[in-house]
Amino acid sequence: MNCADFEAQLDAYIDNELPPAVVDEMTEHLGACAACARSHERQLALRRALTQHAPALQAPPGLRASIRQAIRAQIRPAATRRLPGTWKLATTRASAEALTDALLASHVRSLLGSHLLDVASSDQHTVKPWFNGKLDYSPSVYDLAGRGYPLLGGRLDYVANHAVAALVYGRRQHVISVFLWPAERGPTAGPATVTRQGYHMLHWIAPDYAYWVVSDLGSTELREFTQLLQRADSAAARPDGR
Amino acid sequence: MAPSELARFEALVLPHLDAAYTLARYLMDNDDDAQDVAQEALLRALKYFDGFRGDDARAWVLAIVRNACHTWQRTGRSHPVAVEFNEELHSGAVGDEHPEAALLRAADREAVRGAVAALPLEFREVIILREVQGLSYKEIGEIAEIPVGTVMSRLSRARRRLARALSSVARERS
Repeated sequence: MNCADFEAQLDAYIDNELPPAVVDEMTEHLGACAACARSHERQLALRRALTQHAPALQAPPGLRASIRQAIRAQIRPAATRRLPGTWKLATTRASAEALTDALLASHVRSLLGSHLLDVASSDQHTVKPWFNGKLDYSPSVYDLAGRGYPLLGGRLDYVANHAVAALVYGRRQHVISVFLWPAERGPTAGPATVTRQGYHMLHWIAPDYAYWVVSDLGSTELREFTQLLQRADSAAARPDGR
Repeated sequence: MAPSELARFEALVLPHLDAAYTLARYLMDNDDDAQDVAQEALLRALKYFDGFRGDDARAWVLAIVRNACHTWQRTGRSHPVAVEFNEELHSGAVGDEHPEAALLRAADREAVRGAVAALPLEFREVIILREVQGLSYKEIGEIAEIPVGTVMSRLSRARRRLARALSSVARERS
């Protein structure tokens, strides 16, 4: 090992993040090179200064109490809670109405600047894994930038007592929210359209997921977008992956 | 939320309140904002607890805290007091690239906290997650949503900035 290699891996060495074989080489070089031993010593001094003066903190008692109180306020009788794993979000006309309202509200709220994205990335391989551990399903995320609908990112939203994935795509200055969750019944043919307060909402059920697409984009383009999504979905479902 | 689910939340997530507050306190510029953001994040965690299926509740909570801090900073709800790190101002003269260990040893609490607070957010968060919370590169990558290679390079650059800032403070005093 030379000094440049040592220097490049010094952080990882002290952080215990190197494989054992490299650790041995580093230790050997450390014993043989006075200059690198000095820089190792400087690194340790910095770590000690941080450990000593930037410690882990304890939450103030007031904060702890106020969080506990807020949590207690969330208790509801167990009977009103939905069983996990069932996604009967809209089985009656009234609940369908409420769901439409909730999704539109989520889209509009997100545009007000409070919570558009939890993960901002145009890379589907960044956005999709971000939901790991946050949802009990992994939403399909597609790269549609080549078709003029770049991925902007995703966020977790809370609709009808469920955490759901909302993916956000862009079209010029327009924002498109795509909500999806595991389908509770069989696929529907084409998207059903609802228009509310100047927003178009398209809904369909693919074999795996129920979809809702919400945007102020013109209905022609929004239809084109949903067709792209549907095509990407069925391409992803084919076993040969094409 | 059912009482049993709540009990599970209290058992799995609440023990990480200190870690959540610590991260928030170092990422936010003042204690009021840190407490607000920690509370907001914990309640958000409660809201999404249904969907939590992982086995690392600490990393899960810290990721929510980190996102909440970023959202606060972005929406300008906080009042930044920390000055941007100025390379010109804080770095030593040419040839002083490697501060001596003695200068770092002499660094006091005020200097260390000041140097940490002056780090840009993306450097500060990896330093806190590593040095204060003791997380692995992999966990830090998951929380900050960056690859492990980026964790490594950000940590290394953050430490260089800290070392330079601390040794220049020490020199000014001597």
